[in-house]
Amino acid sequence: MSKKFYRFYGGLMGFQERWLNRMAAKGWRLIRTGKMSYEFEECKPKQYLYCVEFIGQKSKENAADYWDFLEDLGYHVFFKNINLNCSVGKAVWRPWAEKDARIATNSTTFNRELLIVEKENDGNPFELHTTLEDKQKYYKTLRYPMLFGFLFWGVFALIMRVWWVGILSALFLFFLIFHQIEIMKLAKQTKFTE
Amino acid sequence: MRDNVKGGALTEVTFYILLSLCSPKHGYGIMQFIEEKTSGRLLLGAGTLYGALNTLQEKGWIAPYGEAGGRKREYLITAQGKEIAERELARLKQLTDTAEQIIGGDSK
Repeated sequence: MSKKFYRFYGGLMGFQERWLNRMAAKGWRLIRTGKMSYEFEECKPKQYLYCVEFIGQKSKENAADYWDFLEDLGYHVFFKNINLNCSVGKAVWRPWAEKDARIATNSTTFNRELLIVEKENDGNPFELHTTLEDKQKYYKTLRYPMLFGFLFWGVFALIMRVWWVGILSALFLFFLIFHQIEIMKLAKQTKFTE
Repeated sequence: MRDNVKGGALTEVTFYILLSLCSPKHGYGIMQFIEEKTSGRLLLGAGTLYGALNTLQEKGWIAPYGEAGGRKREYLITAQGKEIAERELARLKQLTDTAEQIIGGDSK
């Protein structure tokens, strides 16, 4: 039996991750993802664990390289779109990305901004980033796209006087603040521990 | 990584990765090595390991091992990496010696 759900998480990777883990705990394993949809099939409760990671800044080669690395570790990896792309065409400008990924198109990480990583539960907690330093580095890569989204759509909303674009901009600001708080918490901890 | 800034300490993760690569290993082998040697205290996440391997390779402390065509990439420590690891061992010895003298055992 399979089940299909529709969800919008935007830049809140953590919420998406927790939801997938709750589904897995109830015995539902992710088999397919669509634009806004998630398809599950039955498995044993708590058989799988999930992590969601943002990789929109990565170039095509680096994204593929990271994918291979994760698959080689025995994980199952899905690409997922972040649902924050408001572009009409099939290309989008990302000044915050790695050199080769600044114009994101269908052949790079456009609409493949997220990785959903599935691991068979072996009793250990499942995290992709495990040191304070590396966690900070990860959150910092998230900051730039959010800042850019906030400024870009903010200016757009002001010039064009379109209220819903203003809301979009505010959404990015919210994500930005959310990640900044995480970074500050981690930075405090690194003063004494690794 | 803030490794070796002004000859400072290695992070625990860096040191363990260097130790694990004294014999060739791929990603999963490194994770297992660390889990085993620390009795599960230190669990290395895949993303952290991936970043660390790339950084260590850029620094020249580790290098890919075996033919490039292989599906699973293996790594091995370099001569420079070994030297770094030995220096770290000496630093840690000094640290544990000091700690031993002051708070170790029941001397007095």
